[in-house]
Amino acid sequence: MPFARITNLLSFIFLLMSFLLLMQNSLAAQVRMFAVQSGVLSALAAAVAFFGGSKELFSVAVVFALIKVIVIPNVLNRAVTKIGIQRAVAPYLGTSATLGICAGLVVVAFYAMAPVTALKPLPTVDGIPLAFAGVLIGLFTTVNRRRALTQILGFLMLENSVFMVALLATYGVPLIVEMGVFLDVLVAVLILEVFVYRIRENFESIDVQHLGSLRG
Amino acid sequence: MILLLLLSIPSVASAAIMGTRRRRTMEWIHASATVVALIVGASIGTRIWAGEPVVSWSLLRADALSAFMIGIVTFVGAVAGLYAVAYMRLEFDDNHLSQVRLFYALFQLFIFTMLLAVATDNLGLMWVAIEGTTLATVFLVNLHDNHTGLEAAYKYLIISSVGIALAFMGTVLVFYAASIEVGEIGLSWTMLISIAARLNPNIVKLAFIFILIGYGTKAGLAPMHTWLPDAHSEAPAPISALMSGVLLNVGIYALIRFKTVTDIAAGPEFSSVWLMRFGLLSLGLAAAFLLSQRNYKRMLAYSSVEHTGIVALGLGFGGYWGLLGALLHMINHALTKSMLFLVSGNISLRYHTTEIYGVRGLLKTAPWTGFAFLWGTLALIGLPPFGPFISEFIIFRSGFAAHSTPYAVTGIALLVVVFAGMLASLNHMLYGQPSGPMEARDPLRWSMVPLALNAILLLGFGLTLPAGVRAFLGQVLKTVGVSL
Repeated sequence: MPFARITNLLSFIFLLMSFLLLMQNSLAAQVRMFAVQSGVLSALAAAVAFFGGSKELFSVAVVFALIKVIVIPNVLNRAVTKIGIQRAVAPYLGTSATLGICAGLVVVAFYAMAPVTALKPLPTVDGIPLAFAGVLIGLFTTVNRRRALTQILGFLMLENSVFMVALLATYGVPLIVEMGVFLDVLVAVLILEVFVYRIRENFESIDVQHLGSLRG
Repeated sequence: MILLLLLSIPSVASAAIMGTRRRRTMEWIHASATVVALIVGASIGTRIWAGEPVVSWSLLRADALSAFMIGIVTFVGAVAGLYAVAYMRLEFDDNHLSQVRLFYALFQLFIFTMLLAVATDNLGLMWVAIEGTTLATVFLVNLHDNHTGLEAAYKYLIISSVGIALAFMGTVLVFYAASIEVGEIGLSWTMLISIAARLNPNIVKLAFIFILIGYGTKAGLAPMHTWLPDAHSEAPAPISALMSGVLLNVGIYALIRFKTVTDIAAGPEFSSVWLMRFGLLSLGLAAAFLLSQRNYKRMLAYSSVEHTGIVALGLGFGGYWGLLGALLHMINHALTKSMLFLVSGNISLRYHTTEIYGVRGLLKTAPWTGFAFLWGTLALIGLPPFGPFISEFIIFRSGFAAHSTPYAVTGIALLVVVFAGMLASLNHMLYGQPSGPMEARDPLRWSMVPLALNAILLLGFGLTLPAGVRAFLGQVLKTVGVSL
């Protein structure tokens, strides 16, 4: 079935982009990887729209591409240039340990999603564990990174993956909800960008370790 | 239509305030919007009380549970909103007009998002609205624009957004389970309930874990509570009152909606065990931090974690009495905590510090403030004859009845620890001698008048549960499938 093959391939590329993102050393390259990942996801939405016969989903794919491939990466790039920090290093764990853990998370994802994939009602169902692995990796990245910008990237990866689960499992949620979700994420990123500047101004670093005065 | 009216009040007010230059006009729009919202909210409540099962209009829908929440949101909104006017005059003079405008506009937007979250049948829209509550409040946390405020706001936004993304994952999984059974059903809760018995229990269980972690983050359940003490202590007092008194309850509301579905699909044991675990953990963690707390706003914030934990325990113990106790405790906690956070605004205006050690002799230096703080704190730590005592009693009683004795016993022991910790802080603040000479003067007096309502209601709920209220709560319980 071409539908199943295409969605599986795109899901695989999607997850691959998460790993490639983690391997990048420069923030600009990470943002690029995120943009590519979003592009893959937008293509996936279009594929589901085509084979699933949903016109609504086409417009979702277009809006998604606009926001996540163009607007958000631009916002992030502007932040990277403005704060003048190019290197994305300083996770709590090094790259090789991170990749090892993320590989483990993929296994966990397959295990956790077993009840979901046990039934095979949809041709897209095989991609769900891959998407869920993306959720776990995004979560881990948000926790593991010290820099505000890379935490935001982790959150965005997580968000992308949840969107992908929605796409594969239910062929997208109703249009009004989808648009609401996009709006929320966009606003969240814009606010986070403001905070990155302010953290930079106030603490002369975007290292969130400096944010440690509120304890107890 | 009345729901549309209810939602349009805060949203129109918010837009109008953004376009206003004069401070007086902003204050008038803001204050009248909160009062009118309360009146409309109350009329929705009475319609449902009178026997109308649901009020609905397009995507908006209110059953008894929604009406219950609308009541809490609009009541606390009005009390905090009226207090806010005078408070803001003292905190921000006319040179900071842009901050004042932002405050009032976002305050109304915050109310709007919470009302939308509880007045829709669409679980996706509910998600959007709950994420909206974070976005509306994040600049309010950082209104003073200093280091700690920035730190609190950043943490709040990133933790809540991650949490809420997981809640979306859970929502999607529930609808996946539903779409396998019946195909396209939108994201409607009513539809979901009607087919809940046919859903695949394993998928629903998996979904519930995500929901619990996700909306639990907003409700302030440990260990996802870490944003809460920071955000609540940094925000201006009226916002802390709303966040603690209402926002946490909105998170719990979302949990109740999904718990109902999960219980039908997978049996009540599953959600019960997880709610009890998270509830007890919250209670324990809050107790540890309350024993040696140095900052009174953080003390109140950790106490919110504690009370969210108690409500979760009530939901976990389950049955008619467990859920009734949980609902009552949501009301009592909203009344108590909004009152105390507003009073804490008075204290910080008087002493210019939020450190417990900086506050001595409150009863002498600001008698009304001190008295209100005493009243509220005694209610909060669960002393009779106040409401929280009764609701906690009902909850733990139902715990023994449900054979969850270990959870109930540990919970009660932790309550004693909290009691000791908070009483010591209260003692320190109310009595003794202030460091310098201070005459007796309450910084805000007339603004505290609405708090009398909280105080009286707290006493009322402690002494009696009128038949009308009991009947209304019975209707709420019926919507989530529980009856005596």
